Order: sequence, then C-alpha cells, then structure tokens
Amino acid sequence: MALTSVQSFYSPEDSKAVIELLDKHEDSALIVAGGTFLHGLVSRGLLSGIEALINIQKLGLNKIDISSDAINIGATTLLGQLKNCPEVKEQAWLGAIKDAMEYPPTQIMNSGTVGGSISSSCPFFDFPVSLLALDGNVQAEGSSGSRDIPLEEFFAGLFENSLGSNEFVTGVRIPVPAGSTTSAFIKMETNANDLAIINVAVCLSMSGTGDCEQARVFLGGGVGESPVRSPSAESALVGTKVDEEAIEKAGEAVLNDLDPLSDHRASAEYRKAMGKVLLKRALASAMQRLS
Amino acid sequence: MSTTNVIGKSITRPDAYDKVTGGKKYPVNYTLPGMLHMKILRSPYPHAKILSIDTSEAEKLKGVRAVLTPDEVPKKYFTPVYFVPYNAPSMVQDFILLSDTVRWAGQPVVAVAASSEDIAEQALELIDVEYEELPTVFDPEEAMKDGAPQLHEASPNNIAKNPSFEFGDMEAGFEDADHIFEGVYETQRAHTCYMEPRVCVADSDTDGRITIHSSMQHTFGLREKLAVALDIPESMVNVVKPTYIGGGFGGKLDIGFIEGLAALLSLKTGKPVRAEHSRGEDFISTTRNPIKVYLKTGVKKDGTYTARQIKSILDCGAHATHGSEVIMVHGLYGTFFPWKCPNQIWEGFTVYTNNMIGGGYRGYGAPQGCFAVESQNDEICETLDLDPIEFRLKNTHREGDPHPVLEGHKLASYKIEECLRQGAERIGFDKRQAAGSAEGVKKKGIGFAVHPLWVSGCVGFPDIYEHSGATVKLNRDGTADVISACVDLGSGQISMLTAVVAEELSLSADKVRIVYADTDTAPFDAPTHASRATYSAGLATKAAAVETKKRLFKAAAAVMEANADDLVLEDGKVMVKGVPESAVPMTDIIARAESPFIQVGEQGPAPTTIAEKGTIIGTASQAPPSNPSPVGAQFIEVEVDTDTGEIEVLRVVYSADVGQVIHPNSAEGQVEGGFQQGMGYALMENLQFDQETGACLSADFLDYKIPTAMEMPSNIESIFIDSHEPTGPYGGKSMSEMCLIVPAAAIANAVYNAIGVRITELPITPEKVLKALGKL
Amino acid sequence: MKQIIELDINDEVHELAVEPYDSLLRTLRDKAGMQGTKKGCDSGGCGCCTVLVDGKAVYSCMTMVMSVEDKKITTVEGLPSEGELDPIQQAFIDAGAVQCGYCTCGIMMATKQLLTDNPKPTEEEIRKGISGNLCRCTGYQKIVEAIQLAAASY
Repeated sequence: MALTSVQSFYSPEDSKAVIELLDKHEDSALIVAGGTFLHGLVSRGLLSGIEALINIQKLGLNKIDISSDAINIGATTLLGQLKNCPEVKEQAWLGAIKDAMEYPPTQIMNSGTVGGSISSSCPFFDFPVSLLALDGNVQAEGSSGSRDIPLEEFFAGLFENSLGSNEFVTGVRIPVPAGSTTSAFIKMETNANDLAIINVAVCLSMSGTGDCEQARVFLGGGVGESPVRSPSAESALVGTKVDEEAIEKAGEAVLNDLDPLSDHRASAEYRKAMGKVLLKRALASAMQRLS
Repeated sequence: MSTTNVIGKSITRPDAYDKVTGGKKYPVNYTLPGMLHMKILRSPYPHAKILSIDTSEAEKLKGVRAVLTPDEVPKKYFTPVYFVPYNAPSMVQDFILLSDTVRWAGQPVVAVAASSEDIAEQALELIDVEYEELPTVFDPEEAMKDGAPQLHEASPNNIAKNPSFEFGDMEAGFEDADHIFEGVYETQRAHTCYMEPRVCVADSDTDGRITIHSSMQHTFGLREKLAVALDIPESMVNVVKPTYIGGGFGGKLDIGFIEGLAALLSLKTGKPVRAEHSRGEDFISTTRNPIKVYLKTGVKKDGTYTARQIKSILDCGAHATHGSEVIMVHGLYGTFFPWKCPNQIWEGFTVYTNNMIGGGYRGYGAPQGCFAVESQNDEICETLDLDPIEFRLKNTHREGDPHPVLEGHKLASYKIEECLRQGAERIGFDKRQAAGSAEGVKKKGIGFAVHPLWVSGCVGFPDIYEHSGATVKLNRDGTADVISACVDLGSGQISMLTAVVAEELSLSADKVRIVYADTDTAPFDAPTHASRATYSAGLATKAAAVETKKRLFKAAAAVMEANADDLVLEDGKVMVKGVPESAVPMTDIIARAESPFIQVGEQGPAPTTIAEKGTIIGTASQAPPSNPSPVGAQFIEVEVDTDTGEIEVLRVVYSADVGQVIHPNSAEGQVEGGFQQGMGYALMENLQFDQETGACLSADFLDYKIPTAMEMPSNIESIFIDSHEPTGPYGGKSMSEMCLIVPAAAIANAVYNAIGVRITELPITPEKVLKALGKL
Repeated sequence: MKQIIELDINDEVHELAVEPYDSLLRTLRDKAGMQGTKKGCDSGGCGCCTVLVDGKAVYSCMTMVMSVEDKKITTVEGLPSEGELDPIQQAFIDAGAVQCGYCTCGIMMATKQLLTDNPKPTEEEIRKGISGNLCRCTGYQKIVEAIQLAAASY
C-alpha cells in the first residue's frame, strides 16, 4: 500500500522552514526522518489524508551533545548512533538506554531515530520507556519558540502527544543525575524483531551509604495507551538497599499500578504477572550494574 | 552399491550462483510491456450477501482499464487444489472466483485492472458494495450443532466431509486394556510464510489463449484449474514453469484467486495483467488447518496397544478446498496407520466456519496427528513407567513388514529402530531426569517424538495425480538439457534432477541444465508436494535419461561398429565394456547423429555413415512403483523459564531413514528448515482472527511471529541412517515433510519433561506455560 | 506528482521519475530495474529488501526514496567487484546456505554491514546481525555457517 495522497516531499534545512511548512499544510503534513513508523502506519491503513511529508534529516539534528549537566540527543540521531555513544556504553546511569538499544535489529538501528521513537507516541516502543525512567525531556520547536516538555507530560494516549499543531520534536534532553545512579531496561518479546509485549525500565539513585534515595519505575508495552509509572514500586524501593527483599516488595507493589490490555499477543493477566517478574529482573540488573 | 559420480556428494546447487547475484528468475520479477496491475476489493464481513455493487466511480478514474464483478465470472464450482482433478469425487466442489455471498472476511468481491498498482488501489476505494450481513460461526464444534448458521446449502450442519475407518473389535479392545488414556489435543492455524508472495502475470492471445507465469507449486495443476475457472478447454492455457520460486511449503498448492481474476481481466482488456499479493493478503489466503483431536487409547501394562478411538475435527473455513483431503491424510497417515493397534476407529469431520480457507502445508494433517498421538504416548510412558523408546518399538511396524496402507507393498527400507536408538544416544537420552525434577527457575528437559509412517508421494491415495515425466536431450557440446515440469520450491529439485541425470549419463553436474519448460512442451508432472519430487520426478527423470542413453548407444553402435548392448558410458566417452581403447567421446557420437546427411570433407562431399540420425533424446512419463515410507525421530532439549513461561530450544537431534541421501547438504537443509517451521508451530505461530468481525489480527510479521536466527538453537544435528530403498532412484526416498511433522510433539514432550506439566494446545506460549504451572 | 531525482546506486547515478511517497524498494525494483532487492512483506518485517545506505543496512521498503537522494545506495548487484563475487556471495554458495534464495540477497546485505563493522564476529553476533531478516527454508544454520566462512576471508 502506498501513501498516494502525498503530493510533496520537503527536505527543509532549518527549523523555521519546517514550521512554515507545518503552518501551511496543517493536519495534512507529517514530519518524517527514518520513515519506519510512517511505513508501519501506512501498511496497516492507519494513515490517510497526508499530503506533505517533511523530512527533517537535513536540519543537523543528528548529534549527541554531552555536557556536565545534561545529554542532548538530536531528533534525527539514529538509534544505532545512540547505541555506539561511549557514554551510553559505559555509564551505569544510562544502562536503561544501553539495554533498550540491544533489542532492535540492525536495519531498525540504522533507520529509526530518537525523535521518531518519541514523537510517534507508540506505547509499544522501548526507547521512550527507558527515557522516562531517566526523567528525560522532549525538546520541541514551533512558531512560538522552543520549549522543553517533561516526557511524562508528553504522551497523551495511543499515537497522541502534547505537541502543538505546528510544533515538532528537535531532540531529547537527559539531565545527568547527581551521585550514584544506575538504570536498566528489560523487554519481553516473542522473537528478536518484535514490539514489546511488556517492557520495564528502572532508574535508581543511591546514597553514599547504599540507600535508595530516588527510584523511577516505568512500564510500557501493552500496559496502556501510554507507558505507565509505578509510584507503588518506587516507594517500596526508596529508603531500602534494593536488596532481595526490597526487590520482592517492589515486585508485589507494581501490581497495584498495572491495569494492562488484553489482546491477541497476551492477556492482561499475563502482562501483569510479567510486569512483576520483569521489574524484579530489571532491578537486579540495575544493581548488578552498580557493583 | 557401486561408486557414484554425483549421488550422495552434494553438488554445488546449480541455482545458487544466480540466486546470490540477485535471482533474476523468480515469478515476482516477471513483467511484460504494457501490462496492467490488478488489485482485489475484499469483503470486510465474514458472512454477508452482496446486494449491489456500484463500480461506476472507479471506472471513471483515469488509468482504470477494467473492473470485474461476480456477474462476469463463470458460474462453475470446482476444487481449486492442484493435485486432484477439479471434479474429484473425494473432494468438495464449492469454490468459485467471485460469488455473491461472502463467507469469510477477506473474500474477494471485485477485481480492478489499472495502469498502475496505485491507481488500482485507489479505484478500490471508489467501489460501493452494499452487503446484508448474515449470522456467523467461527468455532467448528458450534458450527456442527443444529441451528448454527449454515454456510453451504449442500452441507447440513456445516459438515463438508465425514470420513471414517475402523477395524477390529473396539469393545473387546478397550476391555482388554489395563489402562485407558483420554485426551484432547488442539492445534492452531499456521502460515507457510513462503517469502515470495503469490504473484502472477496472465496474458491473452487474440484467440483467447492464456499464457501465465505464477509463483506456484504445480504447472499442470494451474493449467487445469485455470481452464476450469475460465470455462475454456485446457489446451487454451499454457503455464510457464517458474525456474524457481521463493518458497511454497504447500502454501502455493491451489489456484487462489489472483490467477483466475488476472486471466479474466486479461481476456477483457487484451493486455497482460499482473497481480501480486500483499503480505496481508498472503496471510489470509492459505493456512494449515486447525484440528482438534479427541484421542482415547487402551494399553496393556507392558505398553502394548489394545484399542484406539480417534475423532478429529478440522476447521476448513469458508470453503472445503484442502480441508477435504487434509482430513484424510491426517486420519490415515497422521493417526490411524502409523502405529500398530489391533482395534481402531477413526472418524473425521471437515467443518465449514466463517474463518479463512485452509491450504496445504508441509506435513498435510500429520503434524496435528503426531502432536496428539505422541503427546499421549509420552503420557502413557510416564504414567506406566515404561521405557519410551521400547514402548515406541513395541507398537510400530518394522522393516520388511507389509505396508500398512498399500496392499501388496512392504516397508522395504524402514530403519525405525536405528533412528530411535542413534538419536537417543546422540542427545544422551539415558541421562534425562525425571519429569519436573529440575531445580531452579530455569528448568531443562529432554523429549522426543517419532512419526512412524509417511509418504514418498501419493501412490495409494484416491483421486491424487501421481505420474511424472521428463525429456532429456544431449547437445553437441556434451551437455544435457532436462525438460521437466517439476517446480523447484527451494527444496532442491534442480539439484536433485541435475544429480540424477548427471549420474545416469556419467556427466559432471555442470554439464546438465534444467531448462525452460511449460505445459505446452513438457510431459505432465504432479506437483512438488507430498514429499514426492525425489522419488517420483527423480525416478521419471532417471528413466528419461536411460532412454537417452539407449539412443546414444544406438548411434554409437553404428559409429563404432559395435553392438549397442556391449557399450558403456564413462567420463563422457562411449566404449565397449572392458575395452578402454575403443572409447569415443560422446560429443563425437552426438555430432555424427546430428550432422547433415551429406558432409563435405577434405575428399569432397560424402554421405555420413550412420543410420541413427537425429537428436539424442529420451522421454519418460510414468507412475512411481510404490510409496516407500521415510521415518524419522527427533530428540530435543529445552529450557523453560518458570517465572516467565518462555521456552528456549537448546539442542536438536534428528535421525532419519530417507534411503540413500542424494544431496547431503540439501537433506540437512530440509531438517534444519523443517525445524524452524516446526519450532514456530510449537511455540509461537498463530494466525489469529477477531471473533466478532473475522478480521485477521496477525496479517504481518509484526504480529505473526516466526523464529529468527536468535531464537533458533545453535546446532541442529542430522543423522541419516545408512539405508537403501530398492524402488527409489539410486536407493533414495523423499524426506521434506517428515522434518516438520515431529518437532511440535517433540518440543511438547521436552517441555513436559522440564516442568512436569503437559500442554495439549499449540502454540505452547509462555502464557500457557505459566497457566499450566499454576502461576496465573 | 512525479519528480525527477538522481540516485547513486552501486556507484552509478540513475535519473529516475519517482512519486514523493515512493519507497526506496519500489524505486529500485520498478523504476531502476534492479530486481535483486526483494519485496517480502513491504512492512519492515522480513528483511528481504535490505540494502545499504551509506554502508548501513536498512529496510528499503520503509525508506522514503526522497530521503536518500544524496546518499550512496548499495544493492546485491553492487556486491561483486571486478567481476568477482564478494566473499559473502561465494560463501553462501559454498556453505549451501541458499535454498529458495528469496531472503538471500537481503541477508547478504545485512552480512555486508556486519562483516564491515566486525570482521570476526562470534556466532551470537552473527545471529544478532541477521535477526532483522527472516528465512523460512534453512533454519539459518547454513546461513550462519556461510557467514563464518565469509568472515574467514574478510
């Protein structure tokens, strides 16, 4: 199936031009980069009425800037670039991203972009869940300027987000945590080229004495129309050493915050049970990473 | 057996070079100048009457050349399955290209031909169809009940077929038993997932004759069914054999909709028409039929069967098609005859529902049967504490026994004991732990399954075509051309035919070419299916090569002034047996046979001397002499994560008697690829449909999961038992389907050994494992 | 509306008329006449359409042709050099890794990137490297062997 309604394919070279095009075409324009998600929608007949495609790959957004307080990842940074970034490979606190980048096959790593993964607002993706655990922000640009949107406030249901009509995602920003922080991500999939049946990302900040000061726990996959946070699991972890007992309690606690979907890939009951198992494994993996 | 030239030596696959450099010759690459593109409008409803169709807006769209509605299709119901006559009495004639009643979501309603694919697709959106929805039924057992929605008038209670077999005394048999085991075993819809879509280009001549290229498994089957669908004589259709296709596995074993509709649109427009399935269309066009097996078996304390009662319910979907044959093969070769049991009854039901229609798939009813029987056999051994290998051997046939199905034939090569013992030794079966006794979250287990009876073709089956033919022609440059209608699905028919002819004519494999063939020029050949190509097409092609050799010797006898009966062929030379100095290059003989009647030499014109003028050519068309059974046992080690239910296959050993192995590398490839399909069937593959709308929920590879290289075990070991089938080509038998019949049962038994709980419904998903463990 | 673009395929510039929504796959097969790249699912699920864009393996069915106008495309037709098969191609023949062959070109292209990035991959790395490609005939075993064989000459 082809997206035959498309009349124009633009490759503007600055954001001003992008915004002008978004203004001009309104709802009939779509931002593209790698094209993977777009094609997924088209082949399932989920997209219609699109007349203009705006390719943002020439905006120079395919770069990762690292400063002492944040990592800025441009929207058109390829997942593969992110995977090969030395910080992602080495830093324990970025472990959730490192883990998430282990799953996609080569072809997706070479086409899929950070911005696309976020702005498509698909609850079955992996990177957004790992980024939620790391308290990432979305950077957006529009006619009224640029702004940072906390990722937690960004997702607004299946394929929906809080972007304004002429806004687009230019990158994500991850604040560098103070102290000793570790994170991990785990996904359940049927084969190696799959959307998550369920996935879990955790981020733990530990004090000098080994107590958990802050915990962020997010789950995606078929848990809802957007990824969900588990405050119950987080509070079961804060103040503990995240030892076996605390992990077990967090596993029980996460069930309070889960009301997943039943579909042809898994039942809600199974997803819920796996939320617990995967969370426990992710926590163990994050702690392992710290040691 | 004497030393062979190429048999058993893995010649380089003749098609490999072309395929690694781009593979020009797939049907999907075939195009013609000026061809149109066809798209199909399909029903969104699983059961409805079409009240009206308005195509006027679509016809106005620029680039649309023709539209085809149910009114314009010959009203002729037939069996679309390639390997039986279109009106075979043992099948059900309920198939038509376009109908005014739709019985499954996805059934074609209107076809459009346009100058581009995009325009054809846009035109579909402009067609207005008014439907009256009808009540639906998706469960075959519901469909059999009185008062259920009826799909076809001729089949009350939606029962398309109801075959049964019985022998012995059931009552006495069960009375004689010390233990009776009862179980219900269910299997799902699985797709063959050939990688090349179904695709065709149909072209029509001014006299109404159709030439068609298609990705399919049977040239002559397509000719016959297309002629019936178009209601024209068979000779008005020429089917060009594809040089190779991108996989079939049984999924391209019937005329679907595209060939007939494209041909009708070509007749209507006078243009070539190309049609190609999207992957979504492929997913709803063919499937392994799901079968629910009710199995009751009586056994003595020592494990001897006393009685077996089997009821099998097959969901054939909206049309019977393959479902009316799959049920028979499932009954006879999948459950009833593989094992020796003195008292048996089997009853099968092929039941219409508003699900998609079924198709052929490697194993054709046997994987469903093997899963049921071998799961229960495992249960019997566990309960009665019997040695599972000895139990199998006690209840199976043995080499030299009469063939259980074919009267007058015997199991001449049948090394089942060696298969079981060598496989068990290789995996270390004697060291396996008691079921469910492994410690820890991840539990390992070993299991196996054997399927003791299968086919090398269709001899003995009612209504199924079986004969094969070929022509072998020697060229003056010392090469041989082989004209055969046998399609290579990827499973190595080109290599096999090449090896057979090279062997017979003492040529190196690179001197043999499988050349162009179509139904106009090649002798009939039954499809590449039913594990028959090596045995049946191989034998016929060998016979053609023998004829060619005879003719060569006649010419040589004249040239060499020798007796044809004394001649032998070695290394491309003809010689009198035992007299090496008499050798004449074969090319000289061929040149003399094909030379002008008078040749001008140094001494001027002179008549050539030999009487045997003409092409050195031989043709054979014959039925195979028997239907020898390959046999194979598969041993598997798995690891089950008892927290998630995920199953990893760690190790696979397959030991088989396939007679003399013709091409070892390809034979291993069959085992390894068969296991990929079997593992998918066992663990993840499942074509799922919305139970209200009938819409397919797994119409792409995102939702229909098959194993990637990551899920597959790192080593699948093949053991080929030393064996020789006296009726086979060079002692060979067929093997392809066996490799897919056993894996699901073997995996299920291994999972049982790991966790101590049996799962009787495929696929064995992580969720089912957790439920079985009581963790959900 | 059709546009004329220039596309560098296997170091040759092709001038092609494409629709703004055309995929690289459709452009290669139907417009540039390069049929070695196969369509298996047209939805990024099977890998038959894998080609290299600036040396990196992508699904050409999901790649908008307009977005790769200034990039170098390599297809299976571009694998041989100076009339010699690429060692990967030769290894696929020698290992018997080709059955129906429909997935083969895509898998070889994924292999090309794998071996370029990592000339001595472990078996696990090989399996990961081709996990975006489906094969229904071989069970991948002889494909893995072929890649190991090719790696020996890389």
